[in-house]
Amino acid sequence: MSDFDFSVILDNLPFLIEGLGMTFLLTLLAIAGGLAIGTLLALARLSGFAPLAMVAAAYTNFFRSLPLILVIFWFYFLVPLILGRPVGGFYSVLVAFILFEAAYYSEIIRAGISSVRSGQVAAARALGMNYWQTMGDVVLPQAFRAMTPVLLTQAIILFQDTSLVYVVGLKDFLVSAELVANRDQRLVEMFTFAAAVYLVFCLLGSYAVRRLQQRFAT
Amino acid sequence: MIVLDKVSKRYGDFQVLTDCSTQVARSEVVVVCGPSGSGKSTLIKTVNGLEPFQGGTITVDGIDVGDPKTDLTRLRARIGMVFQNFELFPHMSVVQNIRVAQIKVLKRPEAEAHQKALALLDRVGLGEQAEKFPSQLSGGQQQRVAIARALAMDPIAMLFDEPTSALDPEMINEVLDVMQELAAEGMTMMVVTHEMGFARRVADRVIFMDEGRIVEDAETDQFFGTPRSDRAQLFLSKILHH
Ligand SMILES: Nc1ncnc2c1ncn2[C@@H]1O[C@H](COP(=O)(O)OP(=O)(O)OP(=O)(O)O)[C@@H](O)[C@H]1O
Ligand SMILES: [Mg+2]
Repeated sequence: MSDFDFSVILDNLPFLIEGLGMTFLLTLLAIAGGLAIGTLLALARLSGFAPLAMVAAAYTNFFRSLPLILVIFWFYFLVPLILGRPVGGFYSVLVAFILFEAAYYSEIIRAGISSVRSGQVAAARALGMNYWQTMGDVVLPQAFRAMTPVLLTQAIILFQDTSLVYVVGLKDFLVSAELVANRDQRLVEMFTFAAAVYLVFCLLGSYAVRRLQQRFAT
Repeated sequence: MIVLDKVSKRYGDFQVLTDCSTQVARSEVVVVCGPSGSGKSTLIKTVNGLEPFQGGTITVDGIDVGDPKTDLTRLRARIGMVFQNFELFPHMSVVQNIRVAQIKVLKRPEAEAHQKALALLDRVGLGEQAEKFPSQLSGGQQQRVAIARALAMDPIAMLFDEPTSALDPEMINEVLDVMQELAAEGMTMMVVTHEMGFARRVADRVIFMDEGRIVEDAETDQFFGTPRSDRAQLFLSKILHH
């Protein structure tokens, strides 16, 4: 153990925190965007309007059958082509994450919406609420409450998956750790530290999921 | 006020309603009863367009419910409905439950909607419970909140679908009392219920349904005195002597 020098962590903390910031930023933006698009996809699938439902189903099944890393690559090369100018790794990766997560979220949200009793919709409609009011004020708030544990679990997976951005040269937490590790020849220390950080955040997330599940169970 | 003319409805091959015709005049209280599965809920839900129907016509206050051009949301805002399972919104407090449609649908200012909600809660005897959540109330209290929520829209008529059948016996009367008061004030009401005591006391007319048809439609005294159909007689004897 005497060979280990964990001071390398402290010395490079600002740099590592910057990387962690990137990881969190990507995770949060991807969750927000994924939820927004996922909700629309779920509503489309439940709309009862066949063409819309089919498009949404096709989208969902398509993205769920692709490995995330492929989607990331794909958008890295595709988005600049479509826009006709380079957009930088961050935006292409963000778009990839959002569209990929949306497919998974839409399935979760669809299940959540279906779990709301049909009588709730009838009650809202009977009060004269239109479709969007019924969804926005009555159904979705209840659906999201029921879904929170599952959504959080998905967020934990996403948090880990953001490490894939190394393939397009984005400096997230893991890449920062690796840079330090190689430069200072402290591979064991840095990767141990990186693992510990991921572990801590994921355990915190899992703990939150368990607490929420207990609360909703009562 | 409410006119049903030869209303028919199918679920696929299954005929739920067949040629149902009746009328509810202004300030009239009509009780609908009949065995389970006879189509009572379906019938009452066609009145505010919650259930579409294929044959016949329904008009409420002169508005054709079945006409595709009718703005159903606007019509529904003017017809109160109370459900067997209350269907209060569990994520909203009691007072929010009563406010939400006033604000969103009728575009009432929040303060006015709030005042109205509190006044109605007082009226159904729940003035103290405004900030509680539905899950903190008893069934009878929840159903009274549901009635207040419907009344907040200043409805021209009220529809009730078995408002007391999910309640413990000791809570039935607190709900029926509120309904009776409402009837006394001249509210037009259509009530699906098996509470024959309530029907006798409050209803002007009783409709008896069986297998999707209106088998009997009579003045209350006449219905309880000499029901014409055998099925209604059988139903009454079962329900009154259990
Ligand atoms: N969505 C549906 N699809 C198919 N059949 C249905 C549907 N809803 C109701 N039905 C059928 O229509 C018939 C009438 O149902 P309805 O709920 O109107 O009866 P009800 O008189 O209110 O009965 P209850 O006293 O049990 O409430 C029943 O046989 C029921 O099974
Ligand atoms: Mg029923």
